[in-house]
Amino acid sequence: MAPPVSTPKSASPSQPSGKSEVTDLKLQLRHLAGSRAPGADDAKRDLFKRVISCMTVGIDVSPAFSEMVMCSATSDVVLKKMCYLYVGNYARCNPDLALLTINFLQKDCHDQDPTIRGLALRSLCSLRVQNLVEYLVAPLAAGLKDHSSYVRTVAAIGVLKLYHISATMCHDSDFPAALKALMLSDPDAQVVANCLYSLLEIWTQDAANSDEAAREIEALYGKSIIYYLLNRIKDFSEWAQCLVLDLVSKYIPSDNNEIFDMMNLLEDRLQHANGAVVLATIKVFLHLTMSMTDVHQQVYERIKAPLLTLVGAGSPEQSYAVLCHLHLLVMRAPMLFSSDYKHFYCQFSDPSYVKKLKLEMLTAIANESNTYEIVTELCEYAGNVDVPIAQESIRAVGKIALQQYDVNAIVDRLLQFLEMEKDYVTAETLVLVKDLLRKYPQWSHDCIAVVGNISSNSIQEPKAKAALIWMLGEYSQDMMDAPYVLESLVENWEEEHSPEVRLHLLTAVMKCFFKRAPETQKALGAALAAGLADNNQDVHDRALFYYRLLQYDVAVAERVVNPPKQAVSVFADTQSSEIKDRIFDEFNSLSVVYQKPSYLFTDKEHRGPFEFSEDLSNLAIGGDSGDDVIHSAQRYEENDKDLLLSTSDKEENGGPTHNGSSTYSAPSDVNSSTSLVSSSTTQPAAFAIDDLLGLGVLDTPVLPPPPALSLNAKPVLDPGTFQKKWGQLTVSSSQESTLSIQGVASLTAPQSLIKHMQNNSIQCIASGGQPPNYKFFFFAQKEGSSSFFLVECIVNTASAKAQIKIKADDASASDAFASLFQSALSNFGSS
Amino acid sequence: MQQLQCIFLLSESSGEVMVEKQTTGHHVDRSICAWFWHQYNHHRNNDQMSVVTSPTHYLFPLIRHGIIFLACTQLELPPLLPIEFLSRFADILSDYLCAGSGAGATLNEDIVKDNFVIVYEVLDEMMDNGFPLTTEPNLLKDIVLPPNLVTKVLHAVTGNSSPSVGPTLPHAAASTVPWRSTHPKTTTNEVYVNLVEQLDASVNRDGNLRRCQVYGEIQVNSSLPGFPDLTLSFTNPSLLNDVRFHPCVRFRPWESSQVLSFVPPDGHFKLMTYRVKELKKIPIYVKPQLTSDSGNCRISALVGVRNDPGKTIDSIIVEFQLPPCITSADLTSNHGTVDILADKTCRWSIGQIPKDKLPSLSGNLVLEPGLDRLHVAPTFQVRFKIMGIAMSGLQIDKLDVKNMPANPYKGFRAQTQAGDYEFRS
Repeated sequence: MAPPVSTPKSASPSQPSGKSEVTDLKLQLRHLAGSRAPGADDAKRDLFKRVISCMTVGIDVSPAFSEMVMCSATSDVVLKKMCYLYVGNYARCNPDLALLTINFLQKDCHDQDPTIRGLALRSLCSLRVQNLVEYLVAPLAAGLKDHSSYVRTVAAIGVLKLYHISATMCHDSDFPAALKALMLSDPDAQVVANCLYSLLEIWTQDAANSDEAAREIEALYGKSIIYYLLNRIKDFSEWAQCLVLDLVSKYIPSDNNEIFDMMNLLEDRLQHANGAVVLATIKVFLHLTMSMTDVHQQVYERIKAPLLTLVGAGSPEQSYAVLCHLHLLVMRAPMLFSSDYKHFYCQFSDPSYVKKLKLEMLTAIANESNTYEIVTELCEYAGNVDVPIAQESIRAVGKIALQQYDVNAIVDRLLQFLEMEKDYVTAETLVLVKDLLRKYPQWSHDCIAVVGNISSNSIQEPKAKAALIWMLGEYSQDMMDAPYVLESLVENWEEEHSPEVRLHLLTAVMKCFFKRAPETQKALGAALAAGLADNNQDVHDRALFYYRLLQYDVAVAERVVNPPKQAVSVFADTQSSEIKDRIFDEFNSLSVVYQKPSYLFTDKEHRGPFEFSEDLSNLAIGGDSGDDVIHSAQRYEENDKDLLLSTSDKEENGGPTHNGSSTYSAPSDVNSSTSLVSSSTTQPAAFAIDDLLGLGVLDTPVLPPPPALSLNAKPVLDPGTFQKKWGQLTVSSSQESTLSIQGVASLTAPQSLIKHMQNNSIQCIASGGQPPNYKFFFFAQKEGSSSFFLVECIVNTASAKAQIKIKADDASASDAFASLFQSALSNFGSS
Repeated sequence: MQQLQCIFLLSESSGEVMVEKQTTGHHVDRSICAWFWHQYNHHRNNDQMSVVTSPTHYLFPLIRHGIIFLACTQLELPPLLPIEFLSRFADILSDYLCAGSGAGATLNEDIVKDNFVIVYEVLDEMMDNGFPLTTEPNLLKDIVLPPNLVTKVLHAVTGNSSPSVGPTLPHAAASTVPWRSTHPKTTTNEVYVNLVEQLDASVNRDGNLRRCQVYGEIQVNSSLPGFPDLTLSFTNPSLLNDVRFHPCVRFRPWESSQVLSFVPPDGHFKLMTYRVKELKKIPIYVKPQLTSDSGNCRISALVGVRNDPGKTIDSIIVEFQLPPCITSADLTSNHGTVDILADKTCRWSIGQIPKDKLPSLSGNLVLEPGLDRLHVAPTFQVRFKIMGIAMSGLQIDKLDVKNMPANPYKGFRAQTQAGDYEFRS
């Protein structure tokens, strides 16, 4: 049929006939609405399909809502499904029209066919319209008792959906209790799993505000329920098994026999076809045996084979995620993998991020027995077409050399790299030779002979150039032409763009001067002059410093610039062991893929969007939450900017040096670190600057002792007023505070802190979050006055830090209150 | 909570959103797809990560048959859960949408677009509130009929009854084995067992075998009536280094006597995957040689059979990447054809090795001006197929079928193909 003539303005380039299409569809739907003609269902199907396809393309077809509902009276299941899909998508923006659908959905909930009952119930719960929740309760209650297990599975999840729309309605109808009963009695494993899934989420979120929910959660992690689930583990679907295994990994068995029983029961899960199940099982095993060192090692032996198979046999996506976990284990216990080194050889077809992980693992597992083989393999990669990998391999060879195995052969290999005459290989190798010399000065003779032949002109990479210059300075007594090479470098001072290289050049010339003064004097003079005129502050300062030092006493200068050095025994590790442990605790999570613990890369909104957003909506009874919306929008924008920054950064540094860092840095990371800095520097910095300027303590008036502030023991503030005040007031004080170890230990659930603060006359109005992050809103009232203090307190138990924002009616008292709050917080756990 | 908040299907070629499925109350804006698409194209030539962080969500992309399956979430969760789920989803879609269109048909954009209603229906059953639900193909097919059947039934019955479900709902509760439907279906009473092995090997510059291992799969296609109980045994099970099973395999018999005892699902499924490591023999070798001098590089490569497997080695292809510093190449071979593709991949299609001569490739590469010698060494990758043999040496002893009225027809096959099979020069 010909498309109807459309008004020209409606057309946007991406959806040429969007509006006219919708009007056309509406018309046709209306024609068919009441039709009982034989072919009507077919025609409807066609139309519905078109509507859904418009929806998928992104055209807003919500104007056809009422027509769609009119057409929905049908016995055709496919039609019903399409209609449910449509309704589910648009009900939220058309709450009034959604009411129209309730009728037929409720009717379908009583259909003879269990599929239809289930479908209807699922769609009914997915409408997510606040004012329709009352229509949900009866069908849900019936659904939970339905004789078809399919409907019960749908109903179990439906309860969770209801909870998210209206938690009170969910509790008033006693659904959690019903779910629990169903979970413990239903013959169908999927129903049990879905009940567990819903209960976990409902109670975890309630636990912040209700002791009862906290108790229930504890019961879920208790022996009887864990055993009940474990005994049925084979009945569960693979996904439900993951859920149960995750639960089990948090269970603490009472004795070793229990641990062995559980491990025996779960051992065959390691051979499940689904990688997610295998990893979840491994997590359970690792956690169970934490306290038993020798068994823990046996577990490593046992899980090795399944992990290696998963890496090799899966799709590239799976294999990378598993490889990250393997990487974590290898880094933790390299010696256990030392005989499996061949598995970590790079294949030509591996993507380079996989190769990088493999190289790191090869480096870690190198020991006396396999170093020769591994280094031989790594040397072949140096000729790789993929330049970053070639560089990475050379770096790996160097790191292995620093681990002290078979250094002799490795130094030879490194020197061979220098003979390959490839710029990036030479550059990378120079940096390594420098590190090696710092650790094994005894090799200087061999290295210097080769390094001396390298022309400094062929090296562009600042790091490599700096390394070469360092060697020229350090070993100038052994290199015949060192002073002259340095001199020519000084002559080209202007063309040297990297301040790092210029700094090194200054120092090298100095060192050379102490050893071979007559030959270097001219170069030194030129270098100091150039350095003094340098635009870079550091270079200028160092030149000035050397100059004055030399003026003062040459012998002293030598002691300062070129003291006898001790060989470096260990180079600093980049990732602290504490962080590694934390990542290990978070085995089988995204942390492992990022190689960062979750508190470093998930920021507030990612950690628990439900917890916090729910918090705010609970609070937003009377007040407007527009403020928060703006806030979060800004935050998104900031994130966006960060992202832009980090990508453009990447382009600039796309060269070799930065290939070491992960390609996708989590943008939130940047965000959180800056916020930490800004909040912690606000106040101390002010003092520091005062001191620097020499104002001294005497000039500044001694801070008056804070007026004793006493708080009303039983203040009253309703959430609506709190929200309003929070929106109106500005932040009068924002601080970061540290929690005591005992405090962190006792903060397993928000209640403990809430009670503690109550004892200090500070009341909690809302709280939420999951370990390691909790968020609290507190308030307090000044004794004998109407002025309130409002506090937002975000506690991270992982870092034992709390970020506090205080807003006060009476801003003058806010400092006093802040210190009171801080001391209350720091006392937490010690009382 | 283990929860995926949204699933998108995008076209790999255009980035167009083909399917959008919001699973929770949290609405994920589809602009995330545009963001991902941009990132994807930006990194296409180098790397793709299995988890991507967008400003607002974590994205799990899975690329199959020119379609990007994209799962989004904001919550911490086991990374393999979404990845496994998406790959299962992709498999099931292929099964649903391509089974009827003849052998060899694979999923593609157009099929998905034509059948998006089925895609929605299937996804709806596979996932509720972001948590994976039913992913057993047999169960799904009872709830959502595959498209070819729908249309068939539609043509047979003229639209007055609901065609896509039966009056009763067979379900896990009805059967003790969730993967097997209780529907009495017409069956042909036959079962096929297929050993498919992939041989990974790498040989270094000096011609030494650096590593060699086999990933194998036992694929079964069962079409047996009733409730058959099968036992599959091997002559040399001790060969296997690590095994993983379909949920239908009973664990105890394997533990005690290394036999696979199972009640099979209907149709195609992967019974077992296994790994055999440290193989000592490879069936085919390549001897590459490169010598370069004053801006030219002579290249030659010989291909031959070593440790004759006793069956014909078929569809042999040797590929290598010409280093970027090469400006032109002139390559000839005495057998097969040599093509240089747009991305500087040189593909030498040999087919079978002739009886009378060894296939060899030779030629000259011209280096970039200014370069004297070639510093990078290309890696030669080989692909081949051997029918009728499993290179790991694994052999099926016998297959017993119990619980059956009539003796079914049993078929066995084996095949080996090259996986990462490479020779460095």
